[in-house]
Amino acid sequence: VNSVHDMGGMDGMGPIQVEKNEPVFHARWEGRVIAMRRAMAATREIPVTSRPAIESIPAADYLCMTYYERWFTALVEQLVESGLVTRAEIESGKSASGSAKAIPGLKASEAATLSFRVPPVMLSVAVNPRFQAGQRVRARNMHPVSHTRLPRYARGRTGVIERDRGVQAFPDTNLLSRGENPQHVYSVRFAARCRLHRHVGGLS
Amino acid sequence: VHEFGTELAGDVEVHVWDSTAEERYMVLPERPTGTEKLNEEDLAALVSRDAMLGMVKVTPPKGGRP
Repeated sequence: VNSVHDMGGMDGMGPIQVEKNEPVFHARWEGRVIAMRRAMAATREIPVTSRPAIESIPAADYLCMTYYERWFTALVEQLVESGLVTRAEIESGKSASGSAKAIPGLKASEAATLSFRVPPVMLSVAVNPRFQAGQRVRARNMHPVSHTRLPRYARGRTGVIERDRGVQAFPDTNLLSRGENPQHVYSVRFAARCRLHRHVGGLS
Repeated sequence: VHEFGTELAGDVEVHVWDSTAEERYMVLPERPTGTEKLNEEDLAALVSRDAMLGMVKVTPPKGGRP
């Protein structure tokens, strides 16, 4: 989507605020948001990634939120969308009377292995590569209204295939449950005022 | 890089490797000169968070050799 999260090359954000001795989390709740996100993703009841949901946050809200506020907002939307909870239940912090417990509680002993319960990126599917390292390619100038890995700054630009990363699920469709669409993923080198390496889905 | 306080010589070629949600890169900081006699623990102590981001260089211990 051409939404505000696609900030590469955008100007006017001010200098990078470099924080000395930056802590992993700035508040305890931030760590809890990660834990909730991982625990919920492990149930397979919500998408394994929050990226499309984060990208759907309205631009004005998005710019005012911190990193983990976006995570939390996306998680709430995904939980409501999945039907696991209602918005009213989240607002009240209590389950509505008579609502069924859909998933057994997570045991502490299971928590340590949670991070690894994500689908593998590499797919063992035979797909012929369309490109070879060293080949010149042009990124499509496309503007899908849903998630894409092709950032605005690379669209329409000519680059060179740097490396074949093997057969992977295509995030532009896979993250939206529109199929794995297995295909070779390439690192593409773009030379501009800055040189950038990007995994680009829409090559032509 | 400049905003992190790192100044690079004009002949340094910069490559940016962008990660994705599926793939991450590990940054191996360049070993500074004058650290040939340091052991693993001493070398690790020189590495900062920003060096692991690839944004600053690892600097040798002050006063040259320890």
